[in-house]
Amino acid sequence: MNKGTSLNNDTSENMKRSDEPIWWGLFSAGGVCFAVFVPAAILFIALLIPAGIIAPEALSFDRARSMLFSLPGLIFIGVVICLPLFHAAHRIRHGLHDLKLGKEHLNKRVTYGGAALLSALALVGFAVGIL
Amino acid sequence: MAKQTSYFPELKRNWWLKHPYFKKYMAREATVLPLVFFLVCLLVGLFSLLQGAESWQGWLRFMQNPLVIAVNALAFIASLFHAWTFFQLFPRVMPLRVGGRALPPNLMVLGQWFGVVVVMILAAWIFMRGL
Amino acid sequence: MMTKKLSIQRYLPEQGNAPYWQDFDVPFDDSTSILDALNYVKEELDGSLTYRWSCRMAICGSCGVMINNTPKLGCNSFLREYEGPVKIAPLAHFPVEKDLIVDMEPFLDHLAAVQPYLIDDSRLIDDNEEGTQTYKQTPAQMEKYKQFAGCINCGLCYSACPQFGLNPEFLGPAALTLAHRYNLDSRDQGKKQRMAQMSREEGVWSCTFVGFCSAVCPKNVDPAAAVNQGKVESAKDMLIGIFKG
Repeated sequence: MNKGTSLNNDTSENMKRSDEPIWWGLFSAGGVCFAVFVPAAILFIALLIPAGIIAPEALSFDRARSMLFSLPGLIFIGVVICLPLFHAAHRIRHGLHDLKLGKEHLNKRVTYGGAALLSALALVGFAVGIL
Repeated sequence: MAKQTSYFPELKRNWWLKHPYFKKYMAREATVLPLVFFLVCLLVGLFSLLQGAESWQGWLRFMQNPLVIAVNALAFIASLFHAWTFFQLFPRVMPLRVGGRALPPNLMVLGQWFGVVVVMILAAWIFMRGL
Repeated sequence: MMTKKLSIQRYLPEQGNAPYWQDFDVPFDDSTSILDALNYVKEELDGSLTYRWSCRMAICGSCGVMINNTPKLGCNSFLREYEGPVKIAPLAHFPVEKDLIVDMEPFLDHLAAVQPYLIDDSRLIDDNEEGTQTYKQTPAQMEKYKQFAGCINCGLCYSACPQFGLNPEFLGPAALTLAHRYNLDSRDQGKKQRMAQMSREEGVWSCTFVGFCSAVCPKNVDPAAAVNQGKVESAKDMLIGIFKG
C-alpha cells in the first residue's frame, strides 16, 4: 500500500508523539493575554504613570502593595507575567529555529526553562509579599 | 533524496529578507522581544516592592528613564501589532459555530478588540480611582 | 506590441553547469500569461528551455514556478501584472532537475504518508457487498470538509513554506490539509491512523503559522487554517490519551 519511504516506517522513534501540545497550549494562552491584558498594563504602568500623565500616586508604595499582594494581584501575575513569558519563550525558540541558530533541544531548555524560572520567581515574590 | 544530477539550494538564514510577507512574519515573531523587556521590568518592580518604600521609589524613577519609556512604548506598539495578527488567526484556528451557523470571522475579530477596550477601561478605573 | 524582459533561471545538469540566469525579451498584451511567455521563449527564442505544463486553466497544477520569489501557477499569472522585469525560477524547496523542472517526489511521498483517501474497514467485511452500498452524506456534513477538498496538488504551498524549506521532513501544508479534510469527512474512519502522523514533530507541530501557504494557494484552500485546526485536534488527542491512561 505505502511506498517504503522514511515517512512510512512505523518505527516507534519515527512516529513519536511530539510534546509540542503542552508548549503550544501555553503559547496560545499567553498569546491571548499578550493581546488582551498586556497592552493596558504597558499603557498604564510603563507609559502614562512614568510620563506623569496620570499622577504617580496611582502607584504609591502602599497602594501598589495592597493591589499586587491580593487575589487580583495573583491573577495579574498569571495573565500579565507568567503566561506571556511562555508565549515569548515559544516564539523565541521557533525564531531561533527560523534563523538556524543553536541546537533544538538546547534552545527548548533555555527558553522554556527561562520562562519557568522567571514565573517561579514572580510567584515566590508574591508569596513573600502576602505573608 | 536529491538525485545526483539535481540542484538543491540550502535555505540560508536570511531567507525571510527575500519577501515582504516573510518580513511581516518575522516582525510578528519579534513582538515578544520588547515584551520580555517589559516583563523583566515588572519582575524587578515586584522585588523592589518587597524591599521597601525607598527601593520602590527607585523603581518608579527607573521606569521614568527616557530610554526605558522608549522601549516600553515599542512594547506597547508591539502588543497592539501582536493583537492585530493574533485576532485574525483565531477564527481560522478555531472556527466557531452558533446555532448550526458559522460565526463570521470579522465578528470574532471585533469581539476580541472589544475585550481589549474593556480591559483598558478596567485598568483606567483601577489606576485612576480616588486620585 | 510591447515587450517585457523575462529573467529565467536555467540549469542544465548534462553540461555540468551551476544554475545561471538568462534574459529574454517577450512580446505581450493584456492576455499573455507567464506560461504563454515561456511557450514563446521555447518556440521562438530557445528550444532548450524546459518546464512543465498541461491544462492552461489552473486545474492540473503542473506549471508552478517562482515568479519574483512568489510561487504561482504560470497559467494563472499575467505579464501585465508586473511593472519591471520578471524573474522566473523553479519552485523553491524542491531539488531542481532541469531549468524549471523540480523533483516532486518528496511532495508525493508526504501526501501518501497521511493516507489521503476514505478509510472504512467496516465496509470490507463482506466481499460481495463491497461497492454495492452508496455512502450517504448530508450537505451539512459535506460543508465541514468542502473548503479543504479543493487541493490540486500543485505544490505551491510547499514552496511558500519556510518550515518545509528549513526541514524537508516536515509533512507540509498540502499533506496536512488532506489529512484534516479526510478526518472531517463523515464517511471516513481513518482519523486514528492519520493522527499518529499529524502528532509527530514533523506533523502539524513543525508549522509556525507563517500563513504564506494560504496566500499563494490558487484554489483558496487555506492550508494554514487546516494545519492549525490539526494542532487543536492533535492537542485534544493527547489530552484524551492522558485521561484514558
